[in-house]
Amino acid sequence: MHNNLKTQFCGLELDSPIVLLSGCVGFGEEYTRIEGFSNTDVGAICLKGTTLEPRLGNIPSRVTETPEGMINAIGLQNPGTDIVINEIMPKLDKKETRFIINISGSSIEEYGEIAKRFDDSDIDAIEINISCPNVKEGGVAFGNDPDMSYRVVEICRKNTTKPLITKLSPNQTNIALNAQRCIDAGTDGLAVINTLMGMSIDTKTRRPVIGNNQGGLSGAAIKPVALLKVHQVYQVSKKYNVPIIGQGGIMTANDAIEFIIAGASTVGIGTALFYDPLVCPKINDGISQYLIDHQLNSIDDLIGTLELNSAISQCDIGSK
Amino acid sequence: MSKEHRNTIKVVDCQVLAHYKYEGDQYIITLASDVIANETKPGQFVHISVSDALPMRRPISVMSVDKENATFDLLYKVVGKGTQQLSERKIGEVLSVIGPIGNGFTMTDKKRPLLIGGGVGMPPMVAIAQSIKDSDYHPFAILGSEVPFPFDAQVASNGKDYQGATHTMPEFEDWNIECRLASLQNYEGSFKGYVTDLAKVYLDGLSAEELAQVEVYSCGPHPMLEAVAKLAKQYNLPCQVSLEENMACAVGGCAGCVVEVQTDNGPAMKRVCVDGPVFDATTVF
Repeated sequence: MHNNLKTQFCGLELDSPIVLLSGCVGFGEEYTRIEGFSNTDVGAICLKGTTLEPRLGNIPSRVTETPEGMINAIGLQNPGTDIVINEIMPKLDKKETRFIINISGSSIEEYGEIAKRFDDSDIDAIEINISCPNVKEGGVAFGNDPDMSYRVVEICRKNTTKPLITKLSPNQTNIALNAQRCIDAGTDGLAVINTLMGMSIDTKTRRPVIGNNQGGLSGAAIKPVALLKVHQVYQVSKKYNVPIIGQGGIMTANDAIEFIIAGASTVGIGTALFYDPLVCPKINDGISQYLIDHQLNSIDDLIGTLELNSAISQCDIGSK
Repeated sequence: MSKEHRNTIKVVDCQVLAHYKYEGDQYIITLASDVIANETKPGQFVHISVSDALPMRRPISVMSVDKENATFDLLYKVVGKGTQQLSERKIGEVLSVIGPIGNGFTMTDKKRPLLIGGGVGMPPMVAIAQSIKDSDYHPFAILGSEVPFPFDAQVASNGKDYQGATHTMPEFEDWNIECRLASLQNYEGSFKGYVTDLAKVYLDGLSAEELAQVEVYSCGPHPMLEAVAKLAKQYNLPCQVSLEENMACAVGGCAGCVVEVQTDNGPAMKRVCVDGPVFDATTVF
């Protein structure tokens, strides 16, 4: 691993700024099936979204291709908190990377209970998912209301001393306000963004392609949206030194660098793996080389270095 | 923990060596890869990047392998954007392929495998036949299609006529494996009816002793698999089916390709990519 990629995130020492995203890599072992893929190439892995009780998830079809991206509606299929803690986590090789659990509750109290159970485990950090677009209750119902978001983060904060990362939804009016409330409630980090809600229709059957009718859009198509949301959240989070995992359509090292410039401390990779399972070392190489080329010692020297253009309104341009 | 699963799937660049079009928008593509040719088991599939213009790969079953020349063949039908893009790939072009993937078919001690393949579900049956061609198995294969078969059907040399089914796929003849064709269309030498109807004709011609040695292996459209599973149940035969589903990662990471199966602990969602694609028919239907 390149030395200039080592970084700190919410108190965790990471060997790379790459974080593999929840829902894309199962419980951390799935991609190791691929020769040439290694968990040591990434700073951290967010494990599959976990609920208190087991969930079967949504009916098929759960994924479909869209222009420059895909829609998914998995529906938080998982074996439940206790099995994750007692049967899956002991099998993780913690020498290879850091592991972050992603949690979802159907009530505020349930979020608190799951956080408490993982507090007693040796997980490295907890990501609070208040932005899953694919389940009826919970998820985004909490994430679109800043006061509800506050209450979810607050109860998790009371129940754990582990680093807490809150995953924000792009499907809301003012993501920066929501970020502020999550910081007020004690989150240590923010993940920006979860998927955008979308739909795909089969014109032969006049039915939605996805069993759940709607799903979350990811992939290169959402990168510009994600980048702007990271920029907007960073305006708030930088005041409190709360770091961001920038995520949404990162396919290349250059994409990752854009997110870091916009304010992300680490970068999330998900959908890109589906096309190129060996993309992580390439992104590491690209970021490292960029730092060298620009005489920067580390990622820290690049985070949030965006220089905005002097703002000229459309009216001003039109009048000239 | 056990790390046996690690490094079992390879990412390889494969050159297109041949690409033939057949009636009904069907294609057979030959790709070069030592790894895929040597490591693929019947029922396994590859996940192909068909074009840089599409963000998702396409899962396609391996039909046959040529270990000596380090090549493998895929049969596919153009049904959407991905297969359309794949059909445009020319000889000499290089495609990124992930494979071999999945739990293929398990050959058991039942020595009379009945292979039933429909449409683009034919390839795994061809793959099984190729893998047991020089063994003590006595397979019988039934291939069904409602568009012209993607090969030149020929009269089977053993001359047996199963209610009008007299023709076979040339490869099966080369491998000395009995095979017949079925279709609702009037194709020369094909049984007129469903693959399951032809299967009944075959099964009813077996002695009780022979019937006890039959295990059914099948791949094809969902309604066909359902009918095959029902038939297997009627005849009290074990049955393995290979399923397909929309797929994103193909390595078990995203849980996008699940099928509901019955387990001892109740219903479960199993991933077609790495828990399958082959399942015990009684757990699915």
